[in-house]
Amino acid sequence: MGMVDAARVLSRPRAPTAGRVKDRRSARLVHYAMLCPTLVLLLAFLVLPAIYVGWLSFNTSTYGQDSTFVGLANYAQLFADRIFWRAFWNTFFVVNGIVYVELLLALGLALLLSGPVPGKAIIIAVVLAPYAITESSGIVMWRYMFEPDIGLVSHILGGLGLGQLDWSTNPVETLLLASTIAIWHHLPFTFLILYAALTTVPRDVLEASEIDGATRWQQFRLITLRLIMPAVLIAVLFRYIFAIRTFAEVWLLTEGGPARLSEVLAIYLYREMFKYHQFGMASATGCFMLVMSLVIAWPYLRRMYCEVMRSA
Amino acid sequence: MQGRRGILKALVAAVAAAVAGPFAATRAYAADRLTVIGHAVHKAAATTGAGGDVTAPWRAKQGVEVEWLTFGVEAANERAFKEASLAEGSADIVFILDRYTGPQFAGLFEDLRAWQANDPIPDFAEIPAGMLAAHTFGGKLTAIPFRHATHGLHYNTEFFAEKGVTEPPKTVVEAVALAEKLTFKRADGVQVYGLVMNFDDPATPIDWIRAFGGDFITADYKVVIDQPAAMRGVTALVDLYKKGVLPKNSMNLKTEDVTTFMQQGRAAMTNNPFNRYINYNDPKASKYPGKIAVVALPLGVDGKATPAKTSVWAMAIPRNGRNKERAWSFVKLLSQPDSTIAETLNGNGPVRPSAYEDAKVKALIPYAAAEKQALASARLVVPGFPNSAKAMDIFIEELGNAMLGTKDPQTAMSDVKKRVQPLLPA
Repeated sequence: MGMVDAARVLSRPRAPTAGRVKDRRSARLVHYAMLCPTLVLLLAFLVLPAIYVGWLSFNTSTYGQDSTFVGLANYAQLFADRIFWRAFWNTFFVVNGIVYVELLLALGLALLLSGPVPGKAIIIAVVLAPYAITESSGIVMWRYMFEPDIGLVSHILGGLGLGQLDWSTNPVETLLLASTIAIWHHLPFTFLILYAALTTVPRDVLEASEIDGATRWQQFRLITLRLIMPAVLIAVLFRYIFAIRTFAEVWLLTEGGPARLSEVLAIYLYREMFKYHQFGMASATGCFMLVMSLVIAWPYLRRMYCEVMRSA
Repeated sequence: MQGRRGILKALVAAVAAAVAGPFAATRAYAADRLTVIGHAVHKAAATTGAGGDVTAPWRAKQGVEVEWLTFGVEAANERAFKEASLAEGSADIVFILDRYTGPQFAGLFEDLRAWQANDPIPDFAEIPAGMLAAHTFGGKLTAIPFRHATHGLHYNTEFFAEKGVTEPPKTVVEAVALAEKLTFKRADGVQVYGLVMNFDDPATPIDWIRAFGGDFITADYKVVIDQPAAMRGVTALVDLYKKGVLPKNSMNLKTEDVTTFMQQGRAAMTNNPFNRYINYNDPKASKYPGKIAVVALPLGVDGKATPAKTSVWAMAIPRNGRNKERAWSFVKLLSQPDSTIAETLNGNGPVRPSAYEDAKVKALIPYAAAEKQALASARLVVPGFPNSAKAMDIFIEELGNAMLGTKDPQTAMSDVKKRVQPLLPA
């Protein structure tokens, strides 16, 4: 822009200040109006129910009876219940097992398939196929494959002299099978996120590093992994949140049995709510799970926030 | 400015309409419909089978349709309580099972004594007092019994013949011995278990514990599961499990799994409701159609009839129902003597003992006499009280510990008593 043009712009008569403020306020109103539908839905279906559940956790409540405020009594009862702590530790191990094993498998598959692989499209379709199966159907299918005496996999394992997976009586093996099913079903989700991230890694950077003598491991560790780290964090974060809610796998296998030994937090909550009709206790369990999710998610959220601020 | 404010107002109105619209639509009450919440067996008993559709003449006369909303056992009860708790309900009648109800829910339903007094169900006195008591709390009759599910001993006659056994066991001691004898591998390599039970609730193990003279919770709310008589029964079950007479995954088995075991010939005996006879012998699903017979449970160690477990489904009218007169008319219809016979022919467990004397019932249902005999001494799993669901879960949990070997049986049952005692009414 030349000096003459600048002078012309600067000398142009400007609108009155009050008018500009009024315009900005009107524009803001329209913006809020555009955001209204989403905000109303978030408020109606997320925020208000969450507040209600939080309030309910400080009450005893059941069908046909008014709620009675009991303060922290529900939480005290929760933390004094050994079955709750067993469910907590079961959930802790299952969640961590699922998240990190799935991450490693998905990353491995994504790395493999991001290179030249014959029949890549078919392989990707096979990897994604479990996501097309409804969760309950898949779990029941797995259950019957591993059914003692008559299950196909049990039969094969027995024939090979490897014994049987004692998932119906051994809680460790129950949770192992439940974790395997969860990983099988949700691997496509993590794979897609990582695969998409890998396709955005610039080839020229990798080629340049190769010219500079970097090994494959160095390329992966110092270039690829760093570039796809935001996607890895997203995948881990989402899987943690979903995995904490693990319910169907364990419920359809053993309902948390035998003797409630393989119970996870979601099943504990289910029993309190739908079997014992103790809404206060169920709400307290739900709030605990929410806090647990936040505690786990916090480092990842913080890291993502820092990454975004650094790039801004 | 007016244009922007107009847009804003229109947007808010549109959002409000979008959110409220579906709710407004559901609040319209269908005056030409009677909504019934229950299990599929209730609908089947009332509408399908050799007894015909009991509801057809009533529907034609009333000019209404009956909308059956059917769910699984637990879900049906859950839905019933949920609907009855609302400020305004959409269910006219709900079916409730005795072990899910309790005095804490009595306020949700109509006191049917008043309805019975004004517009009585014929021959009401025939309905056993015990069944009425299962749904009576504080003197208030909350539901009219419709169906009972009483346990008998089902056995595979082909396996019995194969092992040279000519008749079912007469006593519980014989039954235990026979279960061991009938645990074997078929010629095709499939393992047959002498006894199979579902452990999703205490009903099946309780039969065996009672056969040994024990019990879980008495009618006057005393926990006796740790007493010597009950311990004999518990120990017998644990021994059967350890010997492989019960399947290894017994603790995960539900009613449907037991049905599969019997249909596929993977078990020789089970104690389950009499009317499972139809499922076990279903030619479309069973490999042994017509080969599974049923008798009353074997005699107890005291030589007397074992009190078989029974459960009672009953029809309740929610207090928030919108057409209680019509609902009562329907309850009365399903409870009449001739309706009860038709429902029995449709596979229902009748609450009127006289239904078993009907010629058509005797001809169609081979186990009618045995079921009537069992009903005479049958008992509920536990008496009704607010924390009964939790108490039953504790029993199953500790029984599981005993069977797995993580606790010895006496310790496990003592823990049951310790944990259940505080849950009982004072």
